[in-house]
Amino acid sequence: MRLDVMLRTTVAACAILGAPGAFADVTFGALYPFSGQLALLGEESARGLELAVDEMNAAGGVQGEQIVLERGDAVDNNQAIGEARRLISREEVKAIFGSYSSSRSIAASQVAELNGIPYFELGAVADEVTGRGLEYLFRVNPTAENMGETIINMVVDKVAPGAGVAAGDLKIAIIHEDSSYGTSVAGHQKRFAEEKGLNIVVEQSYPASTVDMSSIVLDLKQRGVDVVLQCSYQNDSVLFLQQAHEADFKPLAIIGGGGGYSMQPTAEAVGHDVIDGVLNTDFTQYIVNKEFTPGIDDFLAAYQEKYGTAPRSGHSLTNYVGAMAVLQALNEADGFEADTILETVRGIDIAEGSTAAGYGVKFGENNQNVRARMMGLQWQDGKLVTVYPDDAAAAEFRMNK
Amino acid sequence: MDVFLQVVVNGLMLGGLFAITSVGLTLIFGIVKVVNFAHGEFLMIGMYAAFLVTTQLGVHPYAAVVAVTPLLFVLGMMTQKFLIEPLMSARNHDIQIFATVGLSTALINLALLLFGADIASTPSYGLRNSIEIGSIRLLTGQVVMFIVAVVLVIGLHFFLQHTQAGRGIRAVAQNRAAAQLMGINVSRVYMITFGLGAACVGVAATLVAPLYPTSPGIGTYFVLTAFVVVVLGGLGSIGGAFLGAMIIGLIDSLSGFYIGSDMREVAVFGVFLLILILRPQGLFGGRQTLSHVS
Repeated sequence: MRLDVMLRTTVAACAILGAPGAFADVTFGALYPFSGQLALLGEESARGLELAVDEMNAAGGVQGEQIVLERGDAVDNNQAIGEARRLISREEVKAIFGSYSSSRSIAASQVAELNGIPYFELGAVADEVTGRGLEYLFRVNPTAENMGETIINMVVDKVAPGAGVAAGDLKIAIIHEDSSYGTSVAGHQKRFAEEKGLNIVVEQSYPASTVDMSSIVLDLKQRGVDVVLQCSYQNDSVLFLQQAHEADFKPLAIIGGGGGYSMQPTAEAVGHDVIDGVLNTDFTQYIVNKEFTPGIDDFLAAYQEKYGTAPRSGHSLTNYVGAMAVLQALNEADGFEADTILETVRGIDIAEGSTAAGYGVKFGENNQNVRARMMGLQWQDGKLVTVYPDDAAAAEFRMNK
Repeated sequence: MDVFLQVVVNGLMLGGLFAITSVGLTLIFGIVKVVNFAHGEFLMIGMYAAFLVTTQLGVHPYAAVVAVTPLLFVLGMMTQKFLIEPLMSARNHDIQIFATVGLSTALINLALLLFGADIASTPSYGLRNSIEIGSIRLLTGQVVMFIVAVVLVIGLHFFLQHTQAGRGIRAVAQNRAAAQLMGINVSRVYMITFGLGAACVGVAATLVAPLYPTSPGIGTYFVLTAFVVVVLGGLGSIGGAFLGAMIIGLIDSLSGFYIGSDMREVAVFGVFLLILILRPQGLFGGRQTLSHVS
């Protein structure tokens, strides 16, 4: 017992003095926007990674080594590149986890690729993240493509039967902010809609910094649009929902694509009576069938204990699930050489419905997780509840009154 | 026909919004001759102030004008006194532009620090309710904004034309050196004008806050259009700013409906470029042109 105490004191002293090599630790980079405009959800995403690391460390670490996370603040693209360089050359990380923002991820993963360091994307959705055919980049989270597909499936499986009409008879409008986020999701919506034989009557982009959407609303109303698909940030989500309400434009369904549609302040801004019934797609959120998302309660409990609050969005859960899949696989590997890590990760095979996010993990073309799925959500009585697919639903889908 | 009327009315209402957010800018731009890039952030601060007053004291958002306008007046005066005036004598006036850009960035980040990146919504107290006149729908808050814009423009015009202080401001605008020789305290006039311009933004902020979600970056949404309006109307021309705002509002609304929302900015900024080329002093500007500003 005394020896144990002495050992611990020595180890602690070494840590304080910063003696190099005193620990058998493995260092990974956590690259997220921790400050600036994206800080809120950047931090929320990083918490998921931290909880995964805590859980692994408590169970003995990875390959017997404790994981140390080195944070890098990717406040903008240039800093993302600089921080990726620092993590790789100075901190000598074995892999980088990140990064919430697609543009930061695209910039930083290029650095990792050139240095031969594995990069695990846990939250960015843009096509280009995996579309560049990088060897060292893996993406675990669902993407813009999954989002487009889920939205169109929801129109076919839920909205059309709910309204009692054939899906092909619905007049569908796609409106979206004109940056790469809105444009890429809209492109996928269009493609999947055409595959399903849906009738798209409007496709309209607009700058996210708009202060007026009355022209769009009027246009949709004039054309008698039944279903509006909007991919938007917060300001434009609020503007559209408010101005549609004010113009007395009441389509059968409005379906958002994450972004502003997932946030509680959006609901507060437009009013619960206005947002009630509005549909959305996003990463797995917390009001969901817990049998479909095994382990979600443990995640929530760990989150509450560490941060003293409930999660602010599904970003932390998505990052947690992605990080756990990778870390558990690495635990079975032999060493942390980049080649070993790549080979190990390529072999991951987690069945659908067996993670806390409800989907499985299996990397396919371009190292994208082919089992990642978005969830269909609906604002019901002030809460964003999962309504699609049926086995993940925590509540019945409701048609707009 | 009904739809056309609705589009025009929407354009005029949008014009009211542009007018009220531009009047203060034209005052500062035309008289102090400072390109105030922090104008949008003044609006943002005003909106947050209105949000805080409304939610903390539980009063109607319009009541916040009593607090917000003086606050912005003082902020404007201080900006002129401590930021712009020390740079007034600099040979290269571009430095003032850099100073206001710096101020704008600092204010955005200060707001991020204090309020976070999320939106704050000021209670609307029915200002988002629509009024129907025939088949035309209008928002209560927009109508009020339009009326206040008209009143503000007339009031400022009267102030500049018929009061001693207004005459002083015009004298300084016409010829700074001569005004100084006539015994006008130029530095004081600049301070008051900058304060007045900012106070107008304060009035705008209390009217805008209940209608738009407030966020640290919201100022940038309005400021570009405000610059277009001010240049179109003629620097320092209050009435010009109002008419410029109406024109831009109509172009925005008509092009948005009849061409497409992705073409609105092309239309608005196309007109802006045309004006710069064909009539650089603006539609209602006097002799001063953009080159006189810096």
